Amino acid sequence: MIKIHVTSVPVDNQDKALKFYTDKLGFIKKTEVPMGEHKWLTVVSPNEQNGVELLLEPMGFEPARVYQKALKDAGIPYTSFMVVDLKKEYERLIGVGVKFIMEPREMGPVKMAILDDTCGNNIQLIQML
Amino acid sequence: MTFSSKTYFETQLDQLVKEHYLPEYYYFQVRQSKAFMERYLSEKIELEKIAATAFMSRFHFIRIFKKVYGLSPRQYLKDLRINTGKELLKQGLDISQVCIDVGYDSIPTFSNAFKRATGYSPREYQKLNKSNLE
Repeated sequence: MIKIHVTSVPVDNQDKALKFYTDKLGFIKKTEVPMGEHKWLTVVSPNEQNGVELLLEPMGFEPARVYQKALKDAGIPYTSFMVVDLKKEYERLIGVGVKFIMEPREMGPVKMAILDDTCGNNIQLIQML
Repeated sequence: MTFSSKTYFETQLDQLVKEHYLPEYYYFQVRQSKAFMERYLSEKIELEKIAATAFMSRFHFIRIFKKVYGLSPRQYLKDLRINTGKELLKQGLDISQVCIDVGYDSIPTFSNAFKRATGYSPREYQKLNKSNLE
């Protein structure tokens, strides 16, 4: 059976990204393997520590920066994470200084909001209704 | 906090909702059926009964549910049972208890469904999570 093991977000600074994704968003660091000037750095959800790993991928490829910036400027989320209670999570994140570019709104079967991960990406939070 | 101007993405969302989304009441009705499944997860739930909570015929309900959530109500219920089972196993509940709590008649049926969905037997899954927490 095939399954998703690792997915990634490109980040402009891995150390800064690790702090944001763990201290603010609440992920847990799973692997940190030095690889030259960068590292293989992944985080997981506290509830799914054997689940899909999120690779905080260094931006080592110039065209990727162009792509990332174009998405950022258009307000398009690079990826999406699921939460149980978006209102509660939104308030918690606002409380710890996270900046949102779209406040929670309902769209059919979901409620969504978009935050700035400070590492070059818009990240969408989704609650299934 | 104020959000003064809409991004390109948000204007696209507005257009999507306006042109392609179902009327609001459909979402509300289908959400009721989803809440019903979550509440009566441990019981045998007939599809007709689920459809009735959304005030729809069985045929119409399956079509609308799939359109809203991208999978059939039967598959949704199955996923819900497995995901709830995962949580209960992580909490250390006995496998036979988890099997009952998520609406399966027998441990072999539950184990087979669990293994097909996760790649692990309930026992393996519980062991794996226990060792990770220690």
